[in-house]
Amino acid sequence: MNQWVIALPFITVALLISLGLYTILFKRNLIKMIMGLAIIQNGVNLFLVSLAYREGYAAPIWTSAPGEDMVLPTSHALTLTSIVIGLATTALMLSFVIMLKKHKGSVDSFKNRRCRE
Amino acid sequence: MSMDLVSASPAFVLGIPLLFAFLTPLANRVSKDLRDAMFVIGLLLTALFVGIMAYEVYTSGSWIYVFGSEESRPTQTASYFRIMFAADGFSALASITMVITALGAGLYSFAYMEGNTGMEKFYTLFFLTLAGVMGMVLTADLFNLFVWFEVTSIASCGLVAFQNYKVKSVEAALKYMFISVLGGLFFLVSIGLLYGEYGVLNFFLLADALTGGMIDKVALSIIIVVFAMKASSVPMHMWAPDVYAESPGSVTPFIAITSLGSLFVLTRIIFTLFRYSFGVAAVGHLLIILGLLSMFVGISMALKQSDVKRLIAYLSVSQIGYMLMAIGVAFATLDSADYSSFGAMALEGGLFHMINDGVYKALLFLSAASVVYATGIGDLNKLGGLAHKMPYTTMFFLLGGLSIAGVPPLSGFSSKLLIYQSVYLYHPILAIIALVVSIITFALIGKIFYSAFLGPDQGLTRGEVPRSMLVAMGILTVVVILFSLFPNYVVAEIVVPAVEGLGVVA
Amino acid sequence: MIDILLKDMWSPIVFIIVSLLTALVAYMFYRIGDEGYKRTRHKGEPFISGNMPPKDPRMIHVGGDNVFWGFTHALRKYLDPLVKAHTGIINDYVYWMVITMALVLIYVYLLI
Repeated sequence: MNQWVIALPFITVALLISLGLYTILFKRNLIKMIMGLAIIQNGVNLFLVSLAYREGYAAPIWTSAPGEDMVLPTSHALTLTSIVIGLATTALMLSFVIMLKKHKGSVDSFKNRRCRE
Repeated sequence: MSMDLVSASPAFVLGIPLLFAFLTPLANRVSKDLRDAMFVIGLLLTALFVGIMAYEVYTSGSWIYVFGSEESRPTQTASYFRIMFAADGFSALASITMVITALGAGLYSFAYMEGNTGMEKFYTLFFLTLAGVMGMVLTADLFNLFVWFEVTSIASCGLVAFQNYKVKSVEAALKYMFISVLGGLFFLVSIGLLYGEYGVLNFFLLADALTGGMIDKVALSIIIVVFAMKASSVPMHMWAPDVYAESPGSVTPFIAITSLGSLFVLTRIIFTLFRYSFGVAAVGHLLIILGLLSMFVGISMALKQSDVKRLIAYLSVSQIGYMLMAIGVAFATLDSADYSSFGAMALEGGLFHMINDGVYKALLFLSAASVVYATGIGDLNKLGGLAHKMPYTTMFFLLGGLSIAGVPPLSGFSSKLLIYQSVYLYHPILAIIALVVSIITFALIGKIFYSAFLGPDQGLTRGEVPRSMLVAMGILTVVVILFSLFPNYVVAEIVVPAVEGLGVVA
Repeated sequence: MIDILLKDMWSPIVFIIVSLLTALVAYMFYRIGDEGYKRTRHKGEPFISGNMPPKDPRMIHVGGDNVFWGFTHALRKYLDPLVKAHTGIINDYVYWMVITMALVLIYVYLLI
């Protein structure tokens, strides 16, 4: 039973990442593709957070830890960084899409292929 | 005090661009001249600290700079909190390449970008990209590497789309951004895998901890694919021609440098992290396959191009193939006696080719940008006779072009000779393909030179490009000539310490 | 054997000196030539199958895609599918990356 509870986040991660990849590969709307990227991003963040968890271990506050057993400390910093970076990249990409829409009036990835060959 | 400054120089190499990235917009409030002066000062200071770091590495050996600590070695406790920078021969080689190109591209920007509004933001993005690539090649920590990877992606995409009234630029930036972010996420997954398994992210500690199990295999595969993608290796190269062709001319060598930086990172990760835990021959063969594909597909696509910058972009993809192949051969022979007989030579050739490639490719891209700047045309079908009005640009293009084609006595030949010879000893067919690709590269440089520069004067341009652009290209030319004249010196003083910095000694 | 032949022999300075000496010899041969040679009327004009060269300089210059046309045309069965594969669609870029990653994973799993 307990094993299943621990495995549950990882199953969610796999679902989220495959959902995001499906969106990116098979949707033509650029905004939907960016949404797919954001879904992958959240999946990866969940992966990092759930990776750090060790059953019965303390929070990694070095100065006041009860013992030597602490959960992995860097994962949370990594996740926070990843969330911040994710915000910046998503905003930048969406602004690129807005520019494309303003210039040529299309957010279809099959029509935004002026650079090719 | 001076000793501290020297030992902290890796931090300054990163800190100076970061500081000036935010000083230039402030200086813009005062006056535009101050802003431009700040830009040049920032670049020169970065170059100064790269010089200090490289000098220290070459005279008294490498060291590890631990942020916020006086220790100079990676201890288990420190690795939980501290970020470490490796100041070794490899970092020195990589950051010298970056800083030379950044100087050339930066000086070139003044005249090229004149007339664009919001130049202080351009300088900010420029410095951020520089800080990003410097961080990528200097860091010895996977988490930190991820951060610099993303900083480079965001800032360089901003540079590509800087002239956002051009639809193609925005589109190319979106594509580059999209695939970089996806690559970064995959990279983050592999970081998570390694961290969850071993609890450390530091290169040196992780290298000791790796066992070569299933998780390591997955992480290794993801890291190779992501950094090969960023280095524009076939079949993940398709963003590269779009971005190189559509970015503003003065930015293009800089984007090329970020992809070269990814190749540096790939080399370092493979040689320091995964060296002891895997059958090295198979990983080496994988890199050789990627390299051959890049060389061949890159040059084939270049045959069909008619846009000057796009053609050079495909040539640059095929040059990446040479380096991947050389690194692959070196890695494949690492565990056998062949390493001392020719594997080390392949690694030297690959690293020497990287520093050469960074410089002559910048020269090529800048002279192509000069053509576009002077005529407003990038299509080779419509160009012609530019040598009459633009003699200096013609000379610069010819020098860069002959160097990329590996024509003796230029620098490209010196490094390609090392590669040909070592891969010939590994397997003759590799050297034959490399030679054929080199010959077609020469033919294509001839195509650009003949189409754009030769022929009767068609009155496409009024004259030579502004003097500051010529000076920028002149700096790169001087570097190319120096590398061409003294290849043995460069190999002995810069490349061999880099090979030692990777932790492999013949 | 080969590394003694190539790596240690290569010296750009020597190469440049030898090239200059060769150029000097060539120049000496050039000096031997007949100085009484007269410039003909058509000297310096492009030869286009015996036709008179056109006035417009753009018509004289043959560049761009016409250079190596025969070579690319002969290889069109190889080049055209390759060019067509560069679709410029973001989905395809991601598709290539995912495919490569899958292949590399299989390669690493099977061979290492």
